[in-house]
Amino acid sequence: MRAARTAYPLKWRIMDALEGVAAAIWPARFKRATPYLMLLPAVLLVGLLVLGLIQIADASLRTLDTTTFQFSDDYSIANFRRALTEPLFLVVAQRSLIAALIVTAVTLIFAFPYAYLMVRTRSPRLRKFLLIALFLPFFIGQVVRAYGWLIILGNQGMVNEALGLVGVAPMRLIYNYPAVLFGLVQYMLPFAVLMLAPALTAIPEELEAAAGSLGANWVRIFIHVVLPLARPGFIGAGVVVLTLSLTDFAVPAILGGGSQDFIANAIYDQFFRTSDQGLGATLALMLVALGSILVGLVFALFGAGTLAMGRSRA
Amino acid sequence: MSGSRSKSFVLWTLVTIALITLSAPTVVVLGASFTGGNIITFPPDGLSLRWYARISQASDLRNAFLRTLQVATVCTIVAIPVGTLAGIALAKYAVRFEKTIQIYLLLPFTIPLIGSGIGLMLIFGKAGILGQLWPVGIACCVINLPFMIWAVTASATGLDPDLELAAANCGAPPLQVFFSVTLPAVMPGVITGSLLMFILALNEFLVSLLLVDARIVTLPVLIYNSIRSIITPDLAAISVVFIACSAVAIFLLDRLVGLDIFLKSK
Repeated sequence: MRAARTAYPLKWRIMDALEGVAAAIWPARFKRATPYLMLLPAVLLVGLLVLGLIQIADASLRTLDTTTFQFSDDYSIANFRRALTEPLFLVVAQRSLIAALIVTAVTLIFAFPYAYLMVRTRSPRLRKFLLIALFLPFFIGQVVRAYGWLIILGNQGMVNEALGLVGVAPMRLIYNYPAVLFGLVQYMLPFAVLMLAPALTAIPEELEAAAGSLGANWVRIFIHVVLPLARPGFIGAGVVVLTLSLTDFAVPAILGGGSQDFIANAIYDQFFRTSDQGLGATLALMLVALGSILVGLVFALFGAGTLAMGRSRA
Repeated sequence: MSGSRSKSFVLWTLVTIALITLSAPTVVVLGASFTGGNIITFPPDGLSLRWYARISQASDLRNAFLRTLQVATVCTIVAIPVGTLAGIALAKYAVRFEKTIQIYLLLPFTIPLIGSGIGLMLIFGKAGILGQLWPVGIACCVINLPFMIWAVTASATGLDPDLELAAANCGAPPLQVFFSVTLPAVMPGVITGSLLMFILALNEFLVSLLLVDARIVTLPVLIYNSIRSIITPDLAAISVVFIACSAVAIFLLDRLVGLDIFLKSK
Protein backbone atom coordinates (compact mmCIF):
# COMPACT_ATOMS: atom_id res chain seq x y z
CA MET A 1 0.00 0.00 0.00
CA ARG A 2 2.66 2.41 1.05
CA ALA A 3 4.65 2.00 -2.13
CA ALA A 4 1.55 2.70 -4.16
CA ARG A 5 0.95 5.95 -2.33
CA THR A 6 4.42 7.33 -3.04
CA ALA A 7 4.10 6.25 -6.62
CA TYR A 8 0.91 8.28 -6.98
CA PRO A 9 1.36 11.53 -5.02
CA LEU A 10 -1.42 13.62 -3.59
CA LYS A 11 -0.96 16.35 -6.19
CA TRP A 12 -1.78 13.90 -8.95
CA ARG A 13 -4.88 12.73 -7.16
CA ILE A 14 -6.11 16.30 -6.83
CA MET A 15 -5.39 16.98 -10.49
CA ASP A 16 -7.21 13.78 -11.45
CA ALA A 17 -10.22 14.79 -9.40
CA LEU A 18 -10.21 18.25 -10.98
CA GLU A 19 -9.88 16.77 -14.46
CA GLY A 20 -12.82 14.52 -13.66
CA VAL A 21 -14.96 17.43 -12.51
CA ALA A 22 -13.94 19.49 -15.53
CA ALA A 23 -14.73 16.64 -17.91
CA ALA A 24 -18.11 16.12 -16.24
CA ILE A 25 -19.27 19.74 -16.52
CA TRP A 26 -17.50 20.54 -19.78
CA PRO A 27 -17.25 17.35 -21.89
CA ALA A 28 -14.81 17.14 -24.79
CA ARG A 29 -17.57 17.55 -27.35
CA PHE A 30 -18.04 21.14 -26.16
CA LYS A 31 -14.45 21.78 -27.14
CA ARG A 32 -15.29 24.18 -29.93
CA ALA A 33 -17.13 26.41 -27.48
CA THR A 34 -14.19 26.57 -25.06
CA PRO A 35 -12.85 29.97 -26.26
CA TYR A 36 -16.29 31.46 -25.74
CA LEU A 37 -16.42 30.02 -22.23
CA MET A 38 -13.03 31.62 -21.57
CA LEU A 39 -14.26 34.98 -22.85
CA LEU A 40 -17.52 34.82 -20.90
CA PRO A 41 -16.32 36.27 -17.54
CA ALA A 42 -14.72 39.27 -19.27
CA VAL A 43 -17.82 39.83 -21.40
CA LEU A 44 -20.04 39.70 -18.30
CA LEU A 45 -17.78 42.04 -16.34
CA VAL A 46 -17.71 44.62 -19.14
CA GLY A 47 -21.47 44.06 -19.37
CA LEU A 48 -21.72 46.00 -16.09
CA LEU A 49 -20.69 49.09 -18.04
CA VAL A 50 -23.34 48.45 -20.67
CA LEU A 51 -25.96 48.08 -17.92
CA GLY A 52 -24.65 51.33 -16.46
CA LEU A 53 -25.02 53.11 -19.79
CA ILE A 54 -28.60 51.85 -20.05
CA GLN A 55 -29.30 53.25 -16.58
CA ILE A 56 -27.77 56.58 -17.60
CA ALA A 57 -29.88 56.64 -20.76
CA ASP A 58 -32.98 55.92 -18.70
CA ALA A 59 -32.19 58.64 -16.18
CA SER A 60 -31.44 61.15 -18.93
CA LEU A 61 -35.02 60.95 -20.18
CA ARG A 62 -36.56 61.82 -16.82
CA THR A 63 -36.90 65.42 -15.77
CA LEU A 64 -36.61 66.76 -12.25
CA ASP A 65 -39.69 68.40 -10.79
CA THR A 66 -38.16 71.27 -8.82
CA THR A 67 -41.16 71.63 -6.50
CA THR A 68 -41.33 68.02 -5.28
CA PHE A 69 -37.75 66.93 -6.12
CA GLN A 70 -39.19 63.83 -7.76
CA PHE A 71 -38.22 62.47 -11.16
CA SER A 72 -40.93 62.15 -13.77
CA ASP A 73 -42.25 58.69 -14.65
CA ASP A 74 -42.69 59.46 -18.30
CA TYR A 75 -39.92 60.13 -20.74
CA SER A 76 -39.14 63.47 -22.34
CA ILE A 77 -36.22 65.02 -24.11
CA ALA A 78 -36.35 68.18 -22.02
CA ASN A 79 -32.96 67.46 -20.45
CA PHE A 80 -31.31 67.24 -23.86
CA ARG A 81 -32.88 70.55 -24.86
CA ARG A 82 -31.53 72.17 -21.70
CA ALA A 83 -28.07 70.65 -22.15
CA LEU A 84 -27.85 72.00 -25.69
CA THR A 85 -29.24 75.46 -25.05
CA GLU A 86 -27.83 76.52 -21.69
CA PRO A 87 -24.77 78.68 -22.37
CA LEU A 88 -22.90 77.32 -19.33
CA PHE A 89 -22.65 73.84 -20.80
CA LEU A 90 -21.60 75.21 -24.16
CA VAL A 91 -18.76 77.12 -22.52
CA VAL A 92 -17.67 74.05 -20.56
CA ALA A 93 -17.82 71.80 -23.62
CA GLN A 94 -15.84 74.28 -25.69
CA ARG A 95 -13.24 74.67 -22.95
CA SER A 96 -12.78 70.88 -22.66
CA LEU A 97 -12.59 70.30 -26.42
CA ILE A 98 -10.04 73.04 -27.05
CA ALA A 99 -8.01 71.83 -24.08
CA ALA A 100 -8.07 68.25 -25.36
CA LEU A 101 -6.78 69.35 -28.77
CA ILE A 102 -4.00 71.55 -27.37
CA VAL A 103 -2.97 68.92 -24.81
CA THR A 104 -2.85 66.21 -27.49
CA ALA A 105 -0.65 68.31 -29.77
CA VAL A 106 1.75 69.40 -27.02
CA THR A 107 1.94 65.92 -25.48
CA LEU A 108 2.80 64.29 -28.81
CA ILE A 109 5.51 66.89 -29.48
CA PHE A 110 7.22 65.98 -26.20
CA ALA A 111 6.39 62.27 -26.22
CA PHE A 112 7.95 61.58 -29.61
CA PRO A 113 11.56 62.59 -28.79
CA TYR A 114 11.26 60.83 -25.43
CA ALA A 115 10.11 57.58 -27.02
CA TYR A 116 12.63 57.94 -29.85
CA LEU A 117 15.56 58.42 -27.50
CA MET A 118 14.37 55.58 -25.27
CA VAL A 119 14.06 53.15 -28.17
CA ARG A 120 17.18 54.18 -30.11
CA THR A 121 19.72 54.77 -27.35
CA ARG A 122 22.63 52.35 -27.28
CA SER A 123 22.98 52.66 -23.51
CA PRO A 124 20.84 50.20 -21.52
CA ARG A 125 21.35 52.41 -18.46
CA LEU A 126 19.86 55.47 -20.12
CA ARG A 127 16.96 53.36 -21.40
CA LYS A 128 16.21 52.06 -17.94
CA PHE A 129 16.49 55.54 -16.45
CA LEU A 130 14.03 56.93 -19.00
CA LEU A 131 11.65 54.03 -18.37
CA ILE A 132 11.73 54.50 -14.60
CA ALA A 133 11.28 58.28 -14.92
CA LEU A 134 8.22 57.48 -17.02
CA PHE A 135 6.67 54.81 -14.83
CA LEU A 136 7.17 56.52 -11.49
CA PRO A 137 4.70 59.35 -12.16
CA PHE A 138 2.46 56.99 -14.17
CA PHE A 139 2.07 54.79 -11.09
CA ILE A 140 1.61 57.63 -8.59
CA GLY A 141 -1.84 58.76 -9.59
CA GLN A 142 -3.39 62.03 -10.54
CA VAL A 143 -4.28 63.40 -7.14
CA VAL A 144 -0.78 63.16 -5.71
CA ARG A 145 0.75 64.61 -8.87
CA ALA A 146 -1.68 67.51 -8.91
CA TYR A 147 -0.88 68.06 -5.24
CA GLY A 148 2.81 68.24 -6.15
CA TRP A 149 2.01 70.98 -8.66
CA LEU A 150 0.08 72.87 -5.97
CA ILE A 151 3.18 72.83 -3.79
CA ILE A 152 5.29 74.14 -6.67
CA LEU A 153 2.93 76.62 -8.28
CA GLY A 154 0.49 77.55 -5.50
CA ASN A 155 0.05 81.09 -4.22
CA GLN A 156 2.37 80.28 -1.31
CA GLY A 157 4.15 77.68 -3.41
CA MET A 158 7.82 77.21 -4.09
CA VAL A 159 8.01 79.30 -7.24
CA ASN A 160 6.32 82.27 -5.62
CA GLU A 161 8.47 81.95 -2.48
CA ALA A 162 11.58 81.84 -4.63
CA LEU A 163 10.41 84.84 -6.63
CA GLY A 164 9.74 86.63 -3.35
CA LEU A 165 13.37 86.14 -2.36
CA VAL A 166 14.50 88.15 -5.36
CA GLY A 167 11.82 90.76 -4.78
CA VAL A 168 9.20 89.77 -7.36
CA ALA A 169 5.58 90.02 -6.21
CA PRO A 170 3.69 86.70 -6.02
CA MET A 171 1.97 85.66 -9.20
CA ARG A 172 -1.16 83.64 -9.70
CA LEU A 173 0.17 80.49 -11.33
CA ILE A 174 -2.69 78.09 -10.63
CA TYR A 175 -6.47 78.16 -10.88
CA ASN A 176 -6.23 79.24 -14.51
CA TYR A 177 -6.51 77.59 -17.92
CA PRO A 178 -2.77 77.23 -18.66
CA ALA A 179 -2.23 75.50 -15.30
CA VAL A 180 -4.88 72.92 -16.18
CA LEU A 181 -3.38 72.39 -19.63
CA PHE A 182 0.07 72.00 -18.12
CA GLY A 183 -1.15 69.50 -15.53
CA LEU A 184 -2.90 67.50 -18.23
CA VAL A 185 0.19 67.36 -20.44
CA GLN A 186 2.21 66.06 -17.52
CA TYR A 187 -0.48 63.49 -16.74
CA MET A 188 -0.69 62.31 -20.37
CA LEU A 189 3.02 62.09 -21.22
CA PRO A 190 3.56 58.52 -19.93
CA PHE A 191 0.49 57.24 -21.78
CA ALA A 192 1.65 58.84 -25.03
CA VAL A 193 5.25 57.60 -24.75
CA LEU A 194 4.10 54.04 -23.95
CA MET A 195 1.79 54.03 -26.99
CA LEU A 196 4.49 55.47 -29.28
CA ALA A 197 7.43 53.31 -28.21
CA PRO A 198 6.31 49.97 -29.74
CA ALA A 199 5.63 51.69 -33.06
CA LEU A 200 9.13 53.19 -33.05
CA THR A 201 10.70 49.84 -32.13
CA ALA A 202 9.09 48.39 -35.24
CA ILE A 203 10.98 50.82 -37.52
CA PRO A 204 14.29 49.26 -38.59
CA GLU A 205 17.20 51.52 -37.78
CA GLU A 206 18.78 50.61 -41.13
CA LEU A 207 16.08 52.62 -42.88
CA GLU A 208 17.33 55.77 -41.18
CA ALA A 209 20.92 54.87 -41.99
CA ALA A 210 19.95 54.27 -45.62
CA ALA A 211 18.20 57.61 -45.89
CA GLY A 212 21.21 59.24 -44.27
CA SER A 213 23.64 57.59 -46.68
CA LEU A 214 21.59 58.93 -49.56
CA GLY A 215 22.21 62.42 -48.26
CA ALA A 216 19.14 63.24 -46.17
CA ASN A 217 19.84 65.22 -43.00
CA TRP A 218 18.15 64.19 -39.77
CA VAL A 219 15.22 66.60 -40.17
CA ARG A 220 14.39 65.11 -43.56
CA ILE A 221 14.85 61.56 -42.23
CA PHE A 222 12.36 62.32 -39.47
CA ILE A 223 9.84 63.92 -41.80
CA HIS A 224 10.07 61.38 -44.63
CA VAL A 225 10.95 58.13 -42.87
CA VAL A 226 10.43 58.01 -39.11
CA LEU A 227 7.25 60.04 -38.66
CA PRO A 228 5.27 58.33 -41.46
CA LEU A 229 6.29 54.88 -40.25
CA ALA A 230 5.44 55.77 -36.66
CA ARG A 231 1.87 56.60 -37.68
CA PRO A 232 0.20 53.69 -35.82
CA GLY A 233 1.88 54.90 -32.65
CA PHE A 234 0.77 58.49 -33.19
CA ILE A 235 -2.80 57.32 -33.77
CA GLY A 236 -2.82 55.17 -30.64
CA ALA A 237 -1.22 57.86 -28.52
CA GLY A 238 -3.35 60.62 -30.02
CA VAL A 239 -6.64 58.81 -29.39
CA VAL A 240 -5.73 57.94 -25.82
CA VAL A 241 -4.55 61.45 -24.94
CA LEU A 242 -7.45 63.15 -26.70
CA THR A 243 -10.16 61.13 -24.97
CA LEU A 244 -8.51 61.01 -21.56
CA SER A 245 -7.91 64.76 -21.43
CA LEU A 246 -11.35 65.59 -22.85
CA THR A 247 -12.99 63.61 -20.06
CA ASP A 248 -10.61 64.35 -17.19
CA PHE A 249 -11.92 65.34 -13.78
CA ALA A 250 -9.09 65.56 -11.24
CA VAL A 251 -6.73 67.98 -12.99
CA PRO A 252 -9.37 70.65 -13.79
CA ALA A 253 -10.79 70.22 -10.27
CA ILE A 254 -7.48 70.56 -8.42
CA LEU A 255 -5.46 72.87 -10.65
CA GLY A 256 -8.48 74.76 -11.96
CA GLY A 257 -9.86 75.39 -8.49
CA GLY A 258 -13.49 75.35 -9.63
CA SER A 259 -13.06 78.12 -12.17
CA GLN A 260 -11.93 75.88 -15.04
CA ASP A 261 -14.52 73.08 -15.02
CA PHE A 262 -14.45 70.47 -17.75
CA ILE A 263 -17.42 68.35 -18.87
CA ALA A 264 -16.72 65.69 -16.23
CA ASN A 265 -16.80 68.33 -13.47
CA ALA A 266 -20.09 69.69 -14.78
CA ILE A 267 -21.55 66.17 -14.71
CA TYR A 268 -20.31 65.61 -11.16
CA ASP A 269 -21.84 68.91 -10.05
CA GLN A 270 -25.21 67.97 -11.55
CA PHE A 271 -25.22 64.72 -9.58
CA PHE A 272 -23.79 65.86 -6.26
CA ARG A 273 -24.36 69.62 -5.97
CA THR A 274 -27.54 70.38 -7.91
CA SER A 275 -28.87 66.83 -7.46
CA ASP A 276 -30.38 66.92 -10.93
CA GLN A 277 -29.61 63.34 -11.84
CA GLY A 278 -31.54 63.58 -15.11
CA LEU A 279 -29.53 66.49 -16.45
CA GLY A 280 -26.29 64.95 -15.17
CA ALA A 281 -27.09 61.69 -16.93
CA THR A 282 -27.88 63.61 -20.11
CA LEU A 283 -24.51 65.35 -20.03
CA ALA A 284 -22.77 62.03 -19.30
CA LEU A 285 -24.50 60.39 -22.25
CA MET A 286 -23.53 63.25 -24.53
CA LEU A 287 -19.91 63.01 -23.36
CA VAL A 288 -19.89 59.26 -24.09
CA ALA A 289 -21.28 60.02 -27.54
CA LEU A 290 -18.77 62.80 -28.17
CA GLY A 291 -15.88 60.56 -27.09
CA SER A 292 -17.07 57.67 -29.24
CA ILE A 293 -17.54 59.92 -32.25
CA LEU A 294 -14.01 61.29 -31.87
CA VAL A 295 -12.50 57.79 -31.48
CA GLY A 296 -14.60 56.44 -34.35
CA LEU A 297 -13.59 59.35 -36.56
CA VAL A 298 -9.89 58.80 -35.91
CA PHE A 299 -10.21 55.03 -36.43
CA ALA A 300 -12.20 55.51 -39.63
CA LEU A 301 -9.66 57.98 -41.00
CA PHE A 302 -6.43 56.33 -39.86
CA GLY A 303 -7.16 52.80 -38.52
CA ALA A 304 -6.76 51.54 -34.95
CA GLY A 305 -2.97 51.98 -34.75
CA THR A 306 -1.29 50.49 -31.71
CA LEU A 307 -4.63 50.22 -29.93
CA ALA A 308 -5.60 46.96 -31.64
CA MET A 309 -5.80 43.97 -29.31
CA GLY A 310 -5.55 40.27 -29.98
CA ARG A 311 -4.03 38.06 -32.66
CA SER A 312 -3.52 39.31 -36.15
CA ARG A 313 -2.25 42.78 -36.69
CA ALA A 314 -2.30 43.84 -40.28
CA MET B 1 22.21 56.68 -32.48
CA SER B 2 23.51 58.23 -35.64
CA GLY B 3 22.98 61.83 -36.46
CA SER B 4 24.35 65.28 -36.15
CA ARG B 5 25.01 67.44 -33.16
CA SER B 6 21.93 69.56 -33.85
CA LYS B 7 19.78 66.42 -33.74
CA SER B 8 20.93 65.37 -30.31
CA PHE B 9 20.66 68.96 -29.12
CA VAL B 10 17.01 69.22 -30.16
CA LEU B 11 16.17 65.74 -28.86
CA TRP B 12 17.87 66.26 -25.53
CA THR B 13 16.31 69.70 -25.01
CA LEU B 14 12.81 68.29 -25.44
CA VAL B 15 13.56 65.17 -23.39
CA THR B 16 15.06 67.24 -20.57
CA ILE B 17 11.95 69.41 -20.40
CA ALA B 18 9.82 66.26 -20.35
CA LEU B 19 11.98 64.69 -17.63
CA ILE B 20 11.77 67.76 -15.41
CA THR B 21 8.00 67.99 -15.90
CA LEU B 22 7.54 64.30 -15.18
CA SER B 23 9.68 64.24 -12.05
CA ALA B 24 9.03 67.64 -10.46
CA PRO B 25 5.84 66.73 -8.51
CA THR B 26 7.35 63.51 -7.16
CA VAL B 27 10.58 65.17 -6.07
CA VAL B 28 8.75 68.09 -4.50
CA VAL B 29 6.27 65.91 -2.60
CA LEU B 30 9.15 63.81 -1.29
CA GLY B 31 11.08 66.91 -0.23
CA ALA B 32 8.06 68.59 1.34
CA SER B 33 7.29 65.54 3.47
CA PHE B 34 10.61 65.93 5.29
CA THR B 35 10.18 69.60 6.12
CA GLY B 36 10.55 70.76 9.71
CA GLY B 37 8.15 73.70 9.44
CA ASN B 38 4.38 73.88 9.76
CA ILE B 39 3.85 75.00 6.22
CA ILE B 40 5.84 74.22 3.13
CA THR B 41 8.29 76.99 2.40
CA PHE B 42 11.18 77.50 0.08
CA PRO B 43 13.93 77.14 1.16
CA PRO B 44 12.69 74.46 3.62
CA ASP B 45 12.79 74.94 7.40
CA GLY B 46 15.22 72.12 8.05
CA LEU B 47 14.69 68.39 7.94
CA SER B 48 12.50 66.32 10.21
CA LEU B 49 10.41 63.20 10.30
CA ARG B 50 7.70 64.82 12.44
CA TRP B 51 5.06 64.63 9.70
CA TYR B 52 5.65 60.92 9.34
CA ALA B 53 5.24 60.57 13.12
CA ARG B 54 2.03 62.60 12.82
CA ILE B 55 0.49 60.49 10.05
CA SER B 56 1.47 57.21 11.71
CA GLN B 57 -0.72 58.33 14.65
CA ALA B 58 -3.71 59.24 12.52
CA SER B 59 -6.10 56.32 12.44
CA ASP B 60 -8.31 57.78 9.70
CA LEU B 61 -5.35 57.84 7.33
CA ARG B 62 -4.30 54.33 8.24
CA ASN B 63 -7.83 53.03 7.77
CA ALA B 64 -8.18 54.81 4.45
CA PHE B 65 -4.94 53.24 3.30
CA LEU B 66 -6.03 49.76 4.42
CA ARG B 67 -9.33 50.22 2.58
CA THR B 68 -7.44 51.26 -0.55
CA LEU B 69 -5.30 48.12 -0.29
CA GLN B 70 -8.46 46.07 0.07
CA VAL B 71 -9.97 47.62 -3.07
CA ALA B 72 -6.78 46.98 -5.05
CA THR B 73 -6.66 43.38 -3.82
CA VAL B 74 -10.26 42.65 -4.83
CA CYS B 75 -9.58 44.25 -8.21
CA THR B 76 -6.47 42.16 -8.85
CA ILE B 77 -7.96 38.88 -7.64
CA VAL B 78 -10.91 39.30 -10.00
CA ALA B 79 -8.80 40.56 -12.90
CA ILE B 80 -6.25 37.74 -12.92
CA PRO B 81 -8.55 34.83 -13.92
CA VAL B 82 -10.94 36.94 -16.00
CA GLY B 83 -8.25 38.78 -17.95
CA THR B 84 -5.97 35.77 -18.35
CA LEU B 85 -8.70 33.54 -19.78
CA ALA B 86 -9.96 36.25 -22.12
CA GLY B 87 -6.45 37.14 -23.22
CA ILE B 88 -5.54 33.52 -24.01
CA ALA B 89 -8.83 33.00 -25.83
CA LEU B 90 -8.27 36.09 -28.00
CA ALA B 91 -4.65 35.27 -28.72
CA LYS B 92 -4.96 31.55 -29.37
CA TYR B 93 -8.26 30.81 -31.01
CA ALA B 94 -9.97 32.03 -34.13
CA VAL B 95 -13.14 33.29 -32.49
CA ARG B 96 -16.25 34.22 -34.42
CA PHE B 97 -17.09 37.92 -34.29
CA GLU B 98 -13.52 38.52 -33.11
CA LYS B 99 -13.55 42.18 -34.16
CA THR B 100 -16.85 42.81 -32.38
CA ILE B 101 -15.66 41.12 -29.20
CA GLN B 102 -12.46 43.15 -29.28
CA ILE B 103 -14.31 46.42 -29.68
CA TYR B 104 -16.69 45.37 -26.90
CA LEU B 105 -13.82 44.49 -24.56
CA LEU B 106 -12.26 47.90 -25.26
CA LEU B 107 -15.42 49.64 -23.97
CA PRO B 108 -13.83 50.38 -20.57
CA PHE B 109 -11.31 52.55 -22.41
CA THR B 110 -13.68 54.20 -24.85
CA ILE B 111 -16.38 55.07 -22.31
CA PRO B 112 -15.15 58.10 -20.35
CA LEU B 113 -14.38 57.32 -16.71
CA ILE B 114 -17.04 59.70 -15.46
CA GLY B 115 -19.60 57.82 -17.59
CA SER B 116 -18.45 54.40 -16.38
CA GLY B 117 -18.33 55.60 -12.80
CA ILE B 118 -21.82 57.11 -12.84
CA GLY B 119 -23.26 54.09 -14.63
CA LEU B 120 -21.76 51.75 -12.03
CA MET B 121 -22.94 54.04 -9.26
CA LEU B 122 -26.50 53.83 -10.58
CA ILE B 123 -26.54 50.03 -10.94
CA PHE B 124 -24.74 49.39 -7.64
CA GLY B 125 -27.23 51.75 -6.05
CA LYS B 126 -30.14 49.77 -7.52
CA ALA B 127 -28.56 46.53 -6.33
CA GLY B 128 -28.22 48.02 -2.84
CA ILE B 129 -24.49 47.33 -2.56
CA LEU B 130 -23.32 50.94 -2.57
CA GLY B 131 -21.39 51.76 0.58
CA GLN B 132 -19.40 48.52 0.60
CA LEU B 133 -15.80 48.17 -0.46
CA TRP B 134 -15.84 45.17 -2.78
CA PRO B 135 -18.00 46.85 -5.44
CA VAL B 136 -15.34 49.57 -5.64
CA GLY B 137 -12.78 46.83 -6.34
CA ILE B 138 -15.00 45.33 -9.03
CA ALA B 139 -15.44 48.77 -10.57
CA CYS B 140 -11.67 49.36 -10.66
CA CYS B 141 -11.31 45.95 -12.27
CA VAL B 142 -13.86 46.69 -15.00
CA ILE B 143 -12.43 50.05 -16.00
CA ASN B 144 -8.84 48.75 -16.25
CA LEU B 145 -9.55 45.25 -17.58
CA PRO B 146 -8.17 45.96 -21.10
CA PHE B 147 -4.71 46.46 -19.54
CA MET B 148 -4.82 42.90 -18.19
CA ILE B 149 -6.08 41.42 -21.48
CA TRP B 150 -3.46 43.37 -23.45
CA ALA B 151 -0.62 42.15 -21.26
CA VAL B 152 -1.73 38.53 -21.61
CA THR B 153 -2.35 38.62 -25.38
CA ALA B 154 1.04 40.25 -25.88
CA SER B 155 2.84 37.36 -24.18
CA ALA B 156 0.52 34.67 -25.58
CA THR B 157 1.83 35.32 -29.09
CA GLY B 158 5.05 33.65 -27.90
CA LEU B 159 3.12 30.47 -27.09
CA ASP B 160 3.64 27.75 -29.69
CA PRO B 161 0.38 25.79 -30.11
CA ASP B 162 2.44 22.71 -30.98
CA LEU B 163 3.65 22.58 -27.39
CA GLU B 164 0.11 22.15 -26.12
CA LEU B 165 -0.57 19.48 -28.74
CA ALA B 166 2.64 17.70 -27.75
CA ALA B 167 1.59 17.70 -24.09
CA ALA B 168 -1.83 16.35 -25.01
CA ASN B 169 -0.17 13.74 -27.21
CA CYS B 170 1.84 12.59 -24.22
CA GLY B 171 -1.41 11.98 -22.39
CA ALA B 172 -1.96 15.22 -20.48
CA PRO B 173 -5.66 15.96 -19.94
CA PRO B 174 -6.93 19.49 -20.80
CA LEU B 175 -6.53 21.07 -17.34
CA GLN B 176 -3.01 19.76 -17.02
CA VAL B 177 -2.11 21.12 -20.45
CA PHE B 178 -3.45 24.48 -19.34
CA PHE B 179 -1.61 24.58 -16.02
CA SER B 180 1.72 23.12 -17.12
CA VAL B 181 2.07 24.47 -20.66
CA THR B 182 -0.29 27.35 -21.48
CA LEU B 183 -0.22 29.22 -18.18
CA PRO B 184 3.60 29.21 -17.72
CA ALA B 185 3.97 30.51 -21.27
CA VAL B 186 1.80 33.57 -20.62
CA MET B 187 3.08 34.12 -17.07
CA PRO B 188 5.09 37.30 -17.89
CA GLY B 189 1.86 38.82 -19.22
CA VAL B 190 -0.11 37.73 -16.17
CA ILE B 191 2.49 39.27 -13.84
CA THR B 192 2.67 42.52 -15.80
CA GLY B 193 -1.10 42.75 -16.02
CA SER B 194 -1.76 42.04 -12.36
CA LEU B 195 0.87 44.55 -11.21
CA LEU B 196 -0.71 47.17 -13.48
CA MET B 197 -4.19 46.34 -12.19
CA PHE B 198 -3.09 46.54 -8.57
CA ILE B 199 -1.25 49.84 -8.87
CA LEU B 200 -3.97 51.46 -10.99
CA ALA B 201 -6.65 50.39 -8.50
CA LEU B 202 -4.51 51.72 -5.65
CA ASN B 203 -4.44 55.13 -7.36
CA GLU B 204 -7.95 55.14 -8.77
CA PHE B 205 -9.59 58.41 -7.88
CA LEU B 206 -12.65 59.38 -9.88
CA VAL B 207 -14.49 56.05 -9.76
CA SER B 208 -13.69 55.76 -6.04
CA LEU B 209 -14.97 59.30 -5.50
CA LEU B 210 -18.29 58.33 -7.08
CA LEU B 211 -18.68 54.99 -5.30
CA VAL B 212 -17.51 55.66 -1.74
CA ASP B 213 -19.25 57.56 1.02
CA ALA B 214 -17.71 59.24 4.06
CA ARG B 215 -17.48 55.96 6.00
CA ILE B 216 -15.45 54.03 3.44
CA VAL B 217 -13.39 56.79 1.85
CA THR B 218 -10.24 55.59 0.07
CA LEU B 219 -6.85 57.27 0.35
CA PRO B 220 -6.79 59.15 -3.00
CA VAL B 221 -10.26 60.52 -2.24
CA LEU B 222 -9.20 61.45 1.28
CA ILE B 223 -6.19 63.34 -0.06
CA TYR B 224 -8.38 65.09 -2.62
CA ASN B 225 -10.86 66.11 0.07
CA SER B 226 -8.07 67.42 2.29
CA ILE B 227 -6.41 69.61 -0.32
CA ARG B 228 -6.97 73.20 0.76
CA SER B 229 -5.41 76.41 -0.35
CA ILE B 230 -3.05 76.31 2.64
CA ILE B 231 -0.57 73.55 1.92
CA THR B 232 0.43 71.52 4.96
CA PRO B 233 3.19 68.89 4.88
CA ASP B 234 1.13 66.05 6.38
CA LEU B 235 -0.56 65.51 3.01
CA ALA B 236 2.87 65.30 1.42
CA ALA B 237 3.87 62.65 3.93
CA ILE B 238 0.81 60.51 3.08
CA SER B 239 1.45 60.99 -0.60
CA VAL B 240 4.86 59.42 -0.10
CA VAL B 241 2.99 56.15 0.54
CA PHE B 242 1.94 56.23 -3.11
CA ILE B 243 5.45 57.09 -4.27
CA ALA B 244 6.78 54.13 -2.28
CA CYS B 245 4.15 51.77 -3.72
CA SER B 246 4.96 53.01 -7.19
CA ALA B 247 8.67 52.40 -6.67
CA VAL B 248 8.01 48.88 -5.36
CA ALA B 249 5.79 48.10 -8.35
CA ILE B 250 8.44 49.32 -10.80
CA PHE B 251 11.11 47.29 -9.01
CA LEU B 252 8.97 44.14 -9.15
CA LEU B 253 8.07 44.73 -12.77
CA ASP B 254 11.71 45.16 -13.70
CA ARG B 255 12.84 42.12 -11.71
CA LEU B 256 10.08 39.73 -12.75
CA VAL B 257 9.57 40.57 -16.41
CA GLY B 258 11.85 43.48 -17.30
CA LEU B 259 10.65 47.00 -18.08
CA ASP B 260 11.80 46.57 -21.68
CA ILE B 261 8.68 44.59 -22.57
CA PHE B 262 6.85 47.91 -22.89
CA LEU B 263 9.16 48.82 -25.76
CA LYS B 264 8.57 45.65 -27.75
CA SER B 265 6.70 46.02 -30.97
CA LYS B 266 3.86 43.55 -31.00
